[in-house]
Amino acid sequence: MGTEKLRVAIVGLGKMGLLHTSILNVIPNVQLAAVCEKNSLTRRVFKKILGDVPLLADLDGLSGLDIDSVFITTPTSSHFKVAKQVYESHLARHLFIEKPLTSNYDDSRELCALANRKGGINMVGYLRRFMVTFVKAKELLSEGYIGEPSSFRITAYSSDFVGVSESTEISEARGGVLRDLGSYAIDIALWFFGGFQLRSAENHSLTASGAEDSVLFSVYQEPNSLLGTVSVSWCEEGYRMPEVVLYIEGSKGAIEVSDDRVRLSLSNGNESVWFRHSLNDNVKFWLGAPEYYREDEYFVESARNGSVAEPSFETASNVDLLIDLIKRKLKKD
Amino acid sequence: MIGDNPFHRISHLSQERARNRTEDLGDPKYAANLIHTALENGANGFTFSVSETTIAILKELDKLETISNVRLYPVVPYAFEYVRFAAQLGGIPGLVRRFGIDMLKSRRLGAIGYGLKGALTADPVDLMKTYLSYEISRVRSSTNKGRLDSVWLHQLITDMALALNLDWLFKSYFDFLTSRKITPGFNTGNFAFLAEKFDTWNIDLSKVLIAAPFNRVGFQMTPSAADCEKALMKMPKPVVIAISVLAAGFIPPKEAADYLATLPNIKGVALGVSKLKHATETFEIFKKRLDSP
Repeated sequence: MGTEKLRVAIVGLGKMGLLHTSILNVIPNVQLAAVCEKNSLTRRVFKKILGDVPLLADLDGLSGLDIDSVFITTPTSSHFKVAKQVYESHLARHLFIEKPLTSNYDDSRELCALANRKGGINMVGYLRRFMVTFVKAKELLSEGYIGEPSSFRITAYSSDFVGVSESTEISEARGGVLRDLGSYAIDIALWFFGGFQLRSAENHSLTASGAEDSVLFSVYQEPNSLLGTVSVSWCEEGYRMPEVVLYIEGSKGAIEVSDDRVRLSLSNGNESVWFRHSLNDNVKFWLGAPEYYREDEYFVESARNGSVAEPSFETASNVDLLIDLIKRKLKKD
Repeated sequence: MIGDNPFHRISHLSQERARNRTEDLGDPKYAANLIHTALENGANGFTFSVSETTIAILKELDKLETISNVRLYPVVPYAFEYVRFAAQLGGIPGLVRRFGIDMLKSRRLGAIGYGLKGALTADPVDLMKTYLSYEISRVRSSTNKGRLDSVWLHQLITDMALALNLDWLFKSYFDFLTSRKITPGFNTGNFAFLAEKFDTWNIDLSKVLIAAPFNRVGFQMTPSAADCEKALMKMPKPVVIAISVLAAGFIPPKEAADYLATLPNIKGVALGVSKLKHATETFEIFKKRLDSP
């Protein structure tokens, strides 16, 4: 792509849209070329804030703006529709979608097929792949420090809906706890260990009858008999920020990793702990957390160089597959 | 100054550690006593996010007879609370509706005036003035002994506005607070970037306070410790309040104070403590080290 700037458009000016808009505006080689937001109140407030950047009510306005890449940060339920329009109307070649890819596996597969036909770089925003603690833990596992993994446990908790009742409308708009917070846990499991079969799943409705608020499921992997349990809830007390913790038991020791630190405990009694600041966590601009900048910078460079970005749509569709299987099992049981 | 992070169960080193703290940090009386102890041992101010918790602490501080006055440095908005509300209420439109209702209920006339104008014009400056008037009035009406020295713009808002080059927003914030004889404050995770931008935009760096991370291990110092230290040297006078100085408990207070003593243009330090013992020891160490030539 040479010295030309990547022309980027953001679709959806909610919390994540605003964060990506701000970060992309400070990444060298990026030009913020347009923002789409369908809510008129939000558009009115942000007109002055975005200055000369076109603020559009719908996607059609992107046509003719010579956009290279679109960031989709709308609610999950609209990801598929928006992405399909971007591809079919030739609005941009490269696509970044905030996690999860879509709201079901069928849509994700259709989008993968469409992306393959159209070419360009595609990626889904599974942020923890850019968090220094999880990167370090993956490295320790790959290098065999704890030997062959035999089991793992993941918790993904937030306090988003603590004390909230009758909020099914909002929680459903976020896709239920599995797609919202659980997708992080599932992506981490797939990233660290590969594919699984589902063993069991149970849900506890806490905010309203039938709401998907707290899900516990277990998986196994053949032929190495790896067992995993995942607990996901957005009704846990004391979680100011959403937090994901992964614990892996291996033949020679264990690894525990959270958003803040990695602990390696070996069977011989040795223990090492790394915090963020001992893992080169600095970035050029800090907004929200360093991994947001790292994630956007990586996608931008991949799009500019034409190199595959991970997690791609193909990779991320596996998260949607497992979520669909869990949901089906919950319904059946 | 003493900071309020522990009262909100925040630890930047470990969320788990913050959750597991056994002290009754949510109790305003306990928090007020901690602040009192810190003030007796070298602290001379309290910095806090404006929330129901900290408003209750201010009211408790007022009841302590041994305190005559406290310098206050509120941080606005309490971003994480608003992000949570946004998640529950359906994004920015839901949040605006909720804030409008809260403000009307509060009957704070100045804020309502700006609010009506802001609602009609959707002008971010009017909306910001609405919000600031509301929060300043909320703090002032909660305390007789507190003196509002500065109001700090939350890190998330400061850094977002920096990224989007909103010089007009910073200037409006500066003018609005200066006209009320309150020092405009900015909490940032991008100190070097902010210093350069403010210089370019002709925002008088000698008339603001900047809260930014400074610590021996470079924790949260963006883009690097060296860049932040270099930018610090260029400040026209000491206007920087160092935060994250203990790197969230990773660095012992004595070492943290030794590092800060080597830096120019540091006006003060903000520290969070959760135990009475720490309130005594930590502030004594910093006071002694930073006061010595």
